[in-house]
Amino acid sequence: MWRYVKWGFRLSVVLTLFLFLHYTLPQHDIVRITETYNRITTVGANALFYASPDAGTAEGTNTRDIRFIATARPNDKVIVYRNEDTGLIWPPYFKYDSSNLQAEASNLRSDKINPQWVSVTHYGWRIPFFSIYPNAVAVKAVAGPDVRIIPWVNIVVLTVLLLVALMLRRMWLQFRERMLDPVAQDVAEAWDGVEDRGEAAAKKARGIWGRFVDWLGTFRGRPRR
Amino acid sequence: MIGFLRVAFFALIGLSVLYWLLSLYSRSTERERLEKKWDAAPPEDAPDREAYIEAGMAKYEKSLRHKLIWLVYIVPMAVVAVIIYIVNAQ
Repeated sequence: MWRYVKWGFRLSVVLTLFLFLHYTLPQHDIVRITETYNRITTVGANALFYASPDAGTAEGTNTRDIRFIATARPNDKVIVYRNEDTGLIWPPYFKYDSSNLQAEASNLRSDKINPQWVSVTHYGWRIPFFSIYPNAVAVKAVAGPDVRIIPWVNIVVLTVLLLVALMLRRMWLQFRERMLDPVAQDVAEAWDGVEDRGEAAAKKARGIWGRFVDWLGTFRGRPRR
Repeated sequence: MIGFLRVAFFALIGLSVLYWLLSLYSRSTERERLEKKWDAAPPEDAPDREAYIEAGMAKYEKSLRHKLIWLVYIVPMAVVAVIIYIVNAQ
């Protein structure tokens, strides 16, 4: 029972961490930009997946004009990105150039006959049911739909996170070795002292009868206490 | 602007906590190193263990390794500045 609870807990922690990183870290899509537009959008319960209200493109209300970039993939499936400033804290992209990005995206529009393939750097997910869109961070023209892109940012970020985790572990182990273990040892020694004194007191209290019982015990090969 | 100051304030608190933890850790490893070194072979000119360790720690406080912990403040700020430049430059 407890084993299942423990493993369930661990699994959910790992899953949460994975989803969090999957949402936050940048990804690249090779697409063809078909349209760029603005739409008045009301952000409600899904506000977590939009820019915070004090970010540059949001300006304090639930209903705002949000920039979108509509694209088509090489397999003709479509994907729509939003294009919003990220604000100050999270996610830490420090993106303040949504207007420029929209202009760049408009500049790279193309149709099916003369496709201009574009690598869109973005974070986030497209979930139609919740009306949430990935946020485009950068667009770059590429040679073709089969261009290979090495995710350097992800490599660096994940390596740094791993190093930080190892460092925290080392720090905790050092703290335990130098600070916690000596205290635990002192407590254990003090407890031994209490036990010794308790035994001595018990011996004293046992008296003549106890010593007699002890002596009887020696007949059965039991050592005297 | 107010938002920026608020973020800077909390970042400063967070980084200070990190600085404090790291300096504790670094000091602890240095003391452990000195203790082990003395225990392995007490030097001729330092017969007193306590005094030897205290002298070593005093030297550590002035060392480059101790001062490098200030990078805890410098590196994140530099990284943020670089990210702002890269993301927003055309």
